[in-house]
Amino acid sequence: MGPQLSWYLALSALLFTIGVVGVIIKRNVIAMFMCIELMLNAVNLTFVAFASFFGDVTGQLFVFIVMTVAAAEAAVGLGIIISIFRNRESLDVDDASILKL
Amino acid sequence: MLVLLFILFGGLAIGCAINVVAQRNPLYCAISLIGVFVSLASLYLMLAAPFIAAVQIIVYAGAIMVLVVFVIMLLNVEQEERRKIRLGFLVPVAIVLAAALIGEVAFILWSVEPNPTLQPTDIGLTKSIGDALFTTYLLPFEITSILLLMAIVGAMTLARRTGVLSPGARVIPGAQLLAVSDIDPSASHEDQTPISSTTSDEAAHILGVVKRDQSKRD
Repeated sequence: MGPQLSWYLALSALLFTIGVVGVIIKRNVIAMFMCIELMLNAVNLTFVAFASFFGDVTGQLFVFIVMTVAAAEAAVGLGIIISIFRNRESLDVDDASILKL
Repeated sequence: MLVLLFILFGGLAIGCAINVVAQRNPLYCAISLIGVFVSLASLYLMLAAPFIAAVQIIVYAGAIMVLVVFVIMLLNVEQEERRKIRLGFLVPVAIVLAAALIGEVAFILWSVEPNPTLQPTDIGLTKSIGDALFTTYLLPFEITSILLLMAIVGAMTLARRTGVLSPGARVIPGAQLLAVSDIDPSASHEDQTPISSTTSDEAAHILGVVKRDQSKRD
């Protein structure tokens, strides 16, 4: 008996929760960004697990598109991080609590 | 055998994920995150999805993490310093709620009916993914390409420096005289007052490379 579907779902839920906790407790913008990537990967694991166990290719296509969105998010997000750092000389989110640059 | 591999890679993923959250140095966070990505790619291989596993390594562990590490190096990030915990009285409440949530999830996972078993299929192969991507899901694919184009333009706009040099203009600290329109093409062309810089600080300020004034920030 190999790993069950529910094992993968439990692992994915655990990774997602760790990512959420990271986003909440981290103060560094880049670390929060990496925790968001962690959450995206947890969801990807769910998609791939369902796709494989139910024999449907749609889930894997969705993972492909999620990866593209993550790449776009990385480009734009890191651009925003760089401009915030240029304005405030800090990556602490508490220093950037007002939207005005 | 597969169970052992699942425990190995799942444990590796969870350990690296906890390390991502626990580390204070962002560079160590990034390296732990690469560990998460690699172990997830191994899990994808176990789930008979070799294409997704390869893309995971190439796109995530390759492209995105290189970008993140590059930004960390570029910005010279310091370690997070330890701070006093605010709202400390909520910690026991959080622990109780987390225990309740874990209990609920464990109960659901434990009480589900026997699952469908993994069948040997060809859905994870590049051919079947390509078939579906370029026939049924052609429109999402094209929309994704537009999204990437928008992201490129947005990232360039965000990361661009504020001062724009017109082509041919050169700023050398010391002996350079420039018209305003040379430095900022959006300025009116009637204003031909030259701008001179005598130190590299002044030159950097004219070009908008340096930080803004303290007064502008507030």
